[in-house]
Amino acid sequence: MSSIAHAAGPIEIEGARKARRNLTRNRIRLAMILGCFLFLVVAGRLVMLAMAGVDETIPGQVQSALTASRPALLDRNGIEMAMDIQAPSLFAEPRNIVDLDEAVEKLARALPELDPAFIRDRLDGDEGFVWLARELTLAQQDQIFRLGIPGVDFLSETKRYYPGGPVAAHILGAVNIDNVGIAGIERHIDLEEVALLQQLGFARSRTLEPMNLSIDLRVQNAVHRELTDALTRYQAIAAAGVMMDVQTGEIVALVSLPDFDPNNPASALEPLNGDKDARINRITAGTFELGSTFKTITMAAALDSGAVSITDRFDARSAVHFGRFAIDDFHGEHRVLAVPEIYKYSSNIGIIKVMQTLGKDNYRAFLTTIGLDASPIIELPERKAASVPERFSDVGAATAAFGHGLSVTPLQLVTAYAAIINGGTFIPPTLFARTPDEAAVLGRRVISPETSALMRYLMRLNGLEGTGRRTSEIADGFRVGGKTGTAEKVIDGRYSSDVTLAVFASAFPMDAPRYAMVILVDEPDRENPQSGKTAAWNAGDVSGRIIQRVGPMLGVLPDFDPEIDRAIVPEILR
Amino acid sequence: MIKALNGVLLVISAVGFVGVYALKYQAEKTGAEIVTIEKRLERKTELLSTLEAHWAYLNQPSTIEPIVIRHADALGVAPIKGEQFGSLEAIPMRPPSEPNSAALEALLAALEAGIDPTTVASIGDVAP
Repeated sequence: MSSIAHAAGPIEIEGARKARRNLTRNRIRLAMILGCFLFLVVAGRLVMLAMAGVDETIPGQVQSALTASRPALLDRNGIEMAMDIQAPSLFAEPRNIVDLDEAVEKLARALPELDPAFIRDRLDGDEGFVWLARELTLAQQDQIFRLGIPGVDFLSETKRYYPGGPVAAHILGAVNIDNVGIAGIERHIDLEEVALLQQLGFARSRTLEPMNLSIDLRVQNAVHRELTDALTRYQAIAAAGVMMDVQTGEIVALVSLPDFDPNNPASALEPLNGDKDARINRITAGTFELGSTFKTITMAAALDSGAVSITDRFDARSAVHFGRFAIDDFHGEHRVLAVPEIYKYSSNIGIIKVMQTLGKDNYRAFLTTIGLDASPIIELPERKAASVPERFSDVGAATAAFGHGLSVTPLQLVTAYAAIINGGTFIPPTLFARTPDEAAVLGRRVISPETSALMRYLMRLNGLEGTGRRTSEIADGFRVGGKTGTAEKVIDGRYSSDVTLAVFASAFPMDAPRYAMVILVDEPDRENPQSGKTAAWNAGDVSGRIIQRVGPMLGVLPDFDPEIDRAIVPEILR
Repeated sequence: MIKALNGVLLVISAVGFVGVYALKYQAEKTGAEIVTIEKRLERKTELLSTLEAHWAYLNQPSTIEPIVIRHADALGVAPIKGEQFGSLEAIPMRPPSEPNSAALEALLAALEAGIDPTTVASIGDVAP
């Protein structure tokens, strides 16, 4: 057949070659198209890769959830009060542990505070992940790294740190091991954030902007130290103090002793002398009968209503009788007293007469106006509502006029004092920085500026001639005015004259008030046999020492010009 | 021609292979470096936050106060008293006084005599 083909001539051969060449050419073309297509695919993929965003997360690192951090808390001058630190936490992968006994032995040596049985229990098993110890120091981390135990590693966790320790404990509160606020401002931040997040429908994300509190840490520290000193000096069971800017409502210092260390939140619940509530925040979560400090409130209400004038006189010669009760004066003058004298001598009889002139219902209404019933206004979750009867009986109103038979928080008292002396505007207190403009919007007039001026005079008068004399002498030049209150405490259902609560409510400088302060000393004793036991001797002295220390820090400079005190006296009494 | 092209392509692909492998290993090495650096960064951040915490602790008034009290004698410091504060207004104005004409005369005489007053210790104050 081939010979036939051969013999058939070149035409056929030529046709066959041509056909083959055509075929080959087609094949080459096809291969080239295929090759080009493949190159196009590769090029296209390259373009796609170049366009794609780069995922920067490295698989195997699960820290983002753990480092969920909290905003730093700063005082009004920018000093850190609470901050986040990164602390290594130790975890183990039990299924990767080669030699259990060796691992347990080595870890127990490196972490003596852990029980070897606990470590063994944790490491034994087939789990993929168990915590061993959280929030270790960097030194401990180094030590454990050097042991070289397989299946044991670290994760960096955020830990809350309070550099000041207990100084601002009740303001800051505390967080639990998972960095969730459980008390104080920390809890407030979480509650606010959660509310906001729920509103917006977002998941966990936090602003890391530091938050400025209204606290002045220098003042806070001074108050803390003076109150700590008071605890030993007067053998008191507790002491508390709060200072407020009367123009803005900012709380500058808030201390309640005994306190706790926020770095160790469990210490807040440690009982003291068998009392498990010993470490509560007495300023916002403790209500007290605040005694004669209420006379300022009664006087302001009466003077503002117009029912009583500063020039009026009241008969304080004999005790006031209500059925079988008789109310008499502690420092008895037993004569007809002018209104400033009633305040100066802290006359119970006089103030009852003043209140009766005002009317008990008007007095009760004024207490609501000036925020002395219901719950105190503050960002802290630890709040206790004041206990004030809805309606006063005759005797109830009489005792309420000098601060018995009703209990309020010291924060409410300092807010009321601030409103009385700042020109008559009630400004809700806050723990966050606030400008005077913001405060002006929130303010609510409760008494007239004229009454406020009269009250400043009365408080300064008491500071110069009355029970506030000792305080004014200690804080000489700072023009302190104030009112003492020595409230007898109820022991087994009876008022005891031995066990008292000493209160001093003050403000400075009285010619242009900037700060109001309430100091409490619970169950004080005499400092020495010569000293007295009433509030002037303890709470008063503490207030004086505090003002003398913090006045210059707050920009209040001492001035010894007697002309200033003369200018406070109202025209009508000069 | 096709042979030359094949040769060129072969060389190119060989170079490409080597290049891609080099790049791959380079990337792996860089990846490892990144992880190491990130570990170090994390550790430094931890250290930094610890140092910041320490700094904040040392800056607390409650830390500084006991130190100041302890060294009050050596430093010669004491709590400030009310009387120690003053204002610029409280400082009395300087009492008016006559210019010291005798000293001025002496200065002029000295200049006349060719003495440079800046090199001489004291010629006498001109101003009162």
